[in-house]
Amino acid sequence: MTIFRFALKRVFGNTTNLIFLTIFPIACIFLPKGEGWPFLPYGYQYFGILILFIGIRLATIILEDRGKGVVKRLAVAPVSHFQYLSQNLLAYSVILILQCAIVVYGGILFGQELYQPSRLFLLFVSFCFASLAIALAWISFYRRKDTSFLLYMSLIFLIVVLGGLIIPIEIFPDLLKRIAVIFPTYWLAEGLNWIVFGENILDFLLINSVLWLYTIVCIIIGSTRKIY
Amino acid sequence: MKQKEPMLFINGWRFLTIGFLIHLWIIGESTNGSFILILLLLIVTSLRWRFALPIWFVLVDVFICFLFTPHTNISYYALALPIFELALKGKWLLSLLIFISLFFAQAASSLLFWFYLQTFFFGVFSFISLKNQVVYRQEADEQRKARYELERMKIDLLEANQSASHQAKLMERNRIASELHDHLGHDLTGASLALQAYEYIQDSREAEKLLQEVKNRLKRSTKNLRDTVHNMTPTTWMGIESLENIAHYFQQLDINLQKSGDMQAVSAHQWGLLEACLKEALTNVARHSNATIVEVDLQVTESIVRLLIQDNGSVEKNSHTGSGLRSLQIRSRSMGGSLSINRKNGFLLVCVIPLEKGG
Repeated sequence: MTIFRFALKRVFGNTTNLIFLTIFPIACIFLPKGEGWPFLPYGYQYFGILILFIGIRLATIILEDRGKGVVKRLAVAPVSHFQYLSQNLLAYSVILILQCAIVVYGGILFGQELYQPSRLFLLFVSFCFASLAIALAWISFYRRKDTSFLLYMSLIFLIVVLGGLIIPIEIFPDLLKRIAVIFPTYWLAEGLNWIVFGENILDFLLINSVLWLYTIVCIIIGSTRKIY
Repeated sequence: MKQKEPMLFINGWRFLTIGFLIHLWIIGESTNGSFILILLLLIVTSLRWRFALPIWFVLVDVFICFLFTPHTNISYYALALPIFELALKGKWLLSLLIFISLFFAQAASSLLFWFYLQTFFFGVFSFISLKNQVVYRQEADEQRKARYELERMKIDLLEANQSASHQAKLMERNRIASELHDHLGHDLTGASLALQAYEYIQDSREAEKLLQEVKNRLKRSTKNLRDTVHNMTPTTWMGIESLENIAHYFQQLDINLQKSGDMQAVSAHQWGLLEACLKEALTNVARHSNATIVEVDLQVTESIVRLLIQDNGSVEKNSHTGSGLRSLQIRSRSMGGSLSINRKNGFLLVCVIPLEKGG
């Protein structure tokens, strides 16, 4: 687990990262509740966007490795690509899961009304994995860190709006409502709605399984070893 | 990169089909649950993109589609994926078997039939192009192997040629030594002995006779020496003379030949290469260039011999190196030297060969 430990140290060694990874989630706890929509406090509605950003921020570390030739050196070291990738991803997901825990359980302590906190936590964890996998798949198409990051930012904006995380999906025209289903953010928004109003546990399982399917697809696409 | 081309289009088709299914889902009336069908197929497709899956993995596709048939019509369209995969592996009859599902599809089964059919055709086409690719690659490998063998043989032959010329030189030295020994040696030794004896002889008549004998011997050996040298002098042009000869008899161009250094240091097989270079360069100039003046500069230093040929032509018609120059390059490399060509300002050929120490 050397790579795992190193990945954790590396993420927290950078001050910008540290602020990015701790201040923002904590800030999410204190955002107020909206009137009418969203049904959960703003911080929880928008935490999905933050997860997407953190996902790409962490995944670009792998891209950096590729650019610096670390992957090339690993190819001749007695470490398999699978070990490298899995331990890195494990470290990143541990960080993301910790943040979810901070946000959800910090919210309870602060006194936010979260309806079903443990299920909300589960939903966020599922979305974390999806976000990490999508970021991984995204960076597999790029060589340069900056290009991939900038383009992903615009992509995040697009899928967040079209997925119904910032604007309620009900006000969309019918066609856009159908298209929204393609985006994982739609399923997160659905899940958030279910936390407030949901009754049938099968719906919640469906939402989580879709997020997991997205994770699997993107991991398969993103796990190719690219050596430049 | 080129070898991946058919696979690129095959994978492109797979993902396009997924896109088509998503489109069907968007314009259709299906529930959110049936979107899982598309995601599952997307997983299988990306697995196929990453890994070479065995043929039985098609069953997974069929099973997924079968599972969703009660819920959505899209699963009938999705059956195109297994049809394609089976056709891609050459199992055409099996892929036609899936056409049976047409009888169960409620809506638009005629459209579905044409969709299946063109999927089948593209699958067969991909199968054939992949197969052809393997054949072409094998052929290319064989040809490359044959070419490498030929080149190696060429280098071996050139090396053999070099060693043969070296042997010939040694034998020739031996012959000269024995010739000098046989014809000149005896007479000169005799004359020398007679001269020594001459100092001790008192009788003048006897001395006169001995002196006459010495004169005769010296005369004979001088004649022998002349004959030997004459016999050994080759009638063909050799060395620098042959280069001068080539330059002299090349009428079309104005050739300016300059030389410096000790021409004796260059051995016979090296002269052969220099001669071939000059001939090839002059022929090329006459054939392809509009040049009028050719500068030829031969420099022999202690360790190398350098031949420089430069013309004043301006036509850059023949930009690739022809087989003649290429073979000269190989020959010069086999002698440990190099031959470089530059076409920037007229044609410039520089051939450098290292000299053998203690020839």
